[in-house]
Amino acid sequence: MISRKLQVFTVLLVLVILAMAGYFVHLKRKAEAIASPQLQQALVAPVNGPAETTLLFLPNDEDGTLRATSVTLALPSDSGERARLALHTLIARGMEKDSPHPYGAGADVHDVFLMDPNSAVVNLNQSLVAGQHPGIQNEQLTLYSMVLTLKAQLPQLARVRFLVEGKSAETLAGHVALSDWMDVAQVQQSAPIAH
Amino acid sequence: MRHLLHAARWILLLQLLLVAGFAHGARSVSVISAQTNYQVEVLSHDGVEYVGLTDLLEPLGRVESHVEGNRVRFLFNGAEAVFEQGNTQCRVRSTRVDLPASFLLQDGRGYIPLASVGVLLPKLAELTAEMHPASRRIFVGIASIRYTAELRTSPSRMVLSFSAPVNPSTYMEKNRVRLLFRREPVVGGTASKLTYSDPFVRGVTFNESAAGAEVAVQVAQPATVTVGDGGRTLTISPAQAAAAPGATSPVAPPDAVSNPGQQVAPVAPPAVKIARGKAFVMLDAAHGGADAGAASSPAEKLLTLALARRVQRELEAKGISVVLARASDVALSFDQRAAAANVARVSLYVAIHLSPEGHGARVYSTLLPPATLAEQDRRAFLPWDLAQAPYLERSAQAAVAVAGALNSAGVTARNSAVALRPLNSVTAPAIAVEFAPLDGGAAELATPVYQQKVASALAVAIATLRGRWEEAQ
Ligand SMILES: [Zn+2]
Repeated sequence: MISRKLQVFTVLLVLVILAMAGYFVHLKRKAEAIASPQLQQALVAPVNGPAETTLLFLPNDEDGTLRATSVTLALPSDSGERARLALHTLIARGMEKDSPHPYGAGADVHDVFLMDPNSAVVNLNQSLVAGQHPGIQNEQLTLYSMVLTLKAQLPQLARVRFLVEGKSAETLAGHVALSDWMDVAQVQQSAPIAH
Repeated sequence: MRHLLHAARWILLLQLLLVAGFAHGARSVSVISAQTNYQVEVLSHDGVEYVGLTDLLEPLGRVESHVEGNRVRFLFNGAEAVFEQGNTQCRVRSTRVDLPASFLLQDGRGYIPLASVGVLLPKLAELTAEMHPASRRIFVGIASIRYTAELRTSPSRMVLSFSAPVNPSTYMEKNRVRLLFRREPVVGGTASKLTYSDPFVRGVTFNESAAGAEVAVQVAQPATVTVGDGGRTLTISPAQAAAAPGATSPVAPPDAVSNPGQQVAPVAPPAVKIARGKAFVMLDAAHGGADAGAASSPAEKLLTLALARRVQRELEAKGISVVLARASDVALSFDQRAAAANVARVSLYVAIHLSPEGHGARVYSTLLPPATLAEQDRRAFLPWDLAQAPYLERSAQAAVAVAGALNSAGVTARNSAVALRPLNSVTAPAIAVEFAPLDGGAAELATPVYQQKVASALAVAIATLRGRWEEAQ
């Protein structure tokens, strides 16, 4: 004979388990929603400065060009942080649905260090590299779009160096070399900009 | 704490790499031919080292193998060899050949004793094969390069004369100049170590390892290396003497001496010369082995190889000689590709890529950062990474010309420039071509119709470029 106390306890235990399972499913859905590119969009560009107009160079894999697009962003006064936010916005655009130049989930720029007014070091995250479609054109567009977007922010910029998680890398995804500085004038000259 | 974790990760990775390196080094041999280089796995059986016949010969030509019971009938470019499991004799082109150990048949694959490669290859493939046991390298169809070391006085200098032009990686170290020959079959003289009682040159040593052959000159003071006789002689002299007026240009400035491990490559003349008796173009099928390239179906590494072979056939039909950087699905490093092009002394290097994205063809030359180049301006030797510098303009012109010719041949093409490996280390005009679908989707890349169309267009473009260069000459 099972005591009444034990029966009540068992029912309560089952209820707790069911509630926890429900909560777990809810958490999992929430986590998936956070990881989705759409929601990442909403997290872009915290408003912490006056709205300004700046240029983003958006890549298009279909015709292999970069398109200058003017956007209005709230940018902070610190130039390194401004540069990082501009690149962050550029990548976020690429994560939109049906983007002509998709990035991997979680792709981002950790930091932009300004060594002096002429030199910037861009620290890419591993997700950006892991999600990069390999190919000369694809890799060129990813890097040149960032160099030109930075140049629009920093008129004195003469050279850019890319790091991955703080380390020097041989190539972005097997094609375009990251092992040396990129000369901004050379990039401007050879970038396939759509007119 | 994060740093510690990071360090621990790196140490683990390094250990893994070391273990992998040893394991790999012990179980394989490198085969180096004029066309390609690759690794062949070595199988140990009853204390004898064996190599797979197919593995060994596939990159060199057309291979067929038929197993009938315990006999293997093997065809290489139509020439026949018959082997029998456990037999120390075989038949090659209807003559009997003795093997140092018995033939091995395992899982339907035939293995020959490693020591018999030097005998079998010449008979079967009509190619010379020279084994370098110390470095586990086999040179196929390339004659050994011998050298002499001669001490000359007033001023003291060491003159190394080679039987063929060489282009070693040069490392300036304190009291030592190291010349590393990665792909050149340099063989040592009678003594592997020579010592001198000279005030400048203390000794010369010869060494061979899996990395290549190395000639090291021990010196008493900072030295410079000068190249002469079209790459046939290397003179190691004291840095001050070389800097004196009228002397040859110094290879490395004194500050490079304090920078051990700095790799330098000789500066070649900027003019494009079509070398007689050498292949005109190296076609480099990008990727290979573990590096699959772009996510196309089949993988980019296979598409590039198929396309390179088609372009080769088209060019050879036009009487233009071609070398392939790789002829099978092997992994080659960027440095190995550049070294292969530089050793072959081709007049043009073309890397072939395919991409499922976008349309038509993209033709690229590389970019080198002008600031880095300016720092090198005073020097007579360029670092390996900047060896392309004297050819940048010609490469950019070649990219424009090839894109134009592709357009004329019906393949929409445009040209651009971007920092590309291994183009930066190639000592000849160098371009990369990336082919994308023409009018269909990604599946089009693997179709024979597509491959043939772009292959013949590229061959026409290369032939047109050669024609222009010949006119200019
Ligand atoms: Zn590729």
